[in-house]
Amino acid sequence: MKVTLISIPVRDQEKALKFYTEKLGFLKKKDQPLEGGNRWITLVSPEWQDGPELLLEPAPNHFEPCKVFQDALMEAGFPYTQFDVDDVEAEYEKLIKLDVDFSVKPTKMGTVKFAVFNDTCGNNIQIVEML
Amino acid sequence: MTFYETEIKRIKDSCFSNDSQIETVIATRNFIDTNFDKDLKLDFLARLRFTSKYHLLRLFKKYYGLTPRQYLMDKRIENSKKNLINGMTVTETCFAVGFESLGSFSKLFKTKTGKSPSAYQKEQFSRSKLDLEF
Repeated sequence: MKVTLISIPVRDQEKALKFYTEKLGFLKKKDQPLEGGNRWITLVSPEWQDGPELLLEPAPNHFEPCKVFQDALMEAGFPYTQFDVDDVEAEYEKLIKLDVDFSVKPTKMGTVKFAVFNDTCGNNIQIVEML
Repeated sequence: MTFYETEIKRIKDSCFSNDSQIETVIATRNFIDTNFDKDLKLDFLARLRFTSKYHLLRLFKKYYGLTPRQYLMDKRIENSKKNLINGMTVTETCFAVGFESLGSFSKLFKTKTGKSPSAYQKEQFSRSKLDLEF
């Protein structure tokens, strides 16, 4: 078995695709139509295009418990998942300029530095730099 | 303050409150990052930080979840991939990232990536060629 896919629940796939590619800089890898206007959309990191794919999954629109869970995480400020970056501070400055909303500014904790932002699709996302 | 921030603060206070230990492991990791191609021994890393080698081993594992040697091996494999993609031969790559024998390099590379260094290199080359042809 191989780990190749990370799924992330989003309320609006098209909006998520725009945010994750235009603001965060991911590249679209797959975009396949499914029933009912849903799509199988996956993204990859530009610097690791054969690495794991990020699936933008419309689950909260079709399965109520997923929506409840997502809302609860959002309200408590918990990140749904996290991405590695080389420099949290630089990434923070770049995203702030693109009007990305941060709930946690770059913070040091032991051997990591992290920050948390809102992906505008229902999730908090954490970026982490290993010190 | 959100529940997440409260939790982070609690974890920080209980797990990451010893600044001198954290400084030691961060300095050790930075040293490995810039010297992974050298013949690094735990004794030497420990002497750099004026600590015993078993103490350093425990600290590194506590804060990074890996032993210094596991971290070093991952670092070397990561860099060997870059060298192979850039066209360096397998033998040159092996010594350039700090391995002492071709056998141990090839074996570890295969364990970590699922392919031998030469198979990995061929695959990367044919992939970039394919991009041009299609």
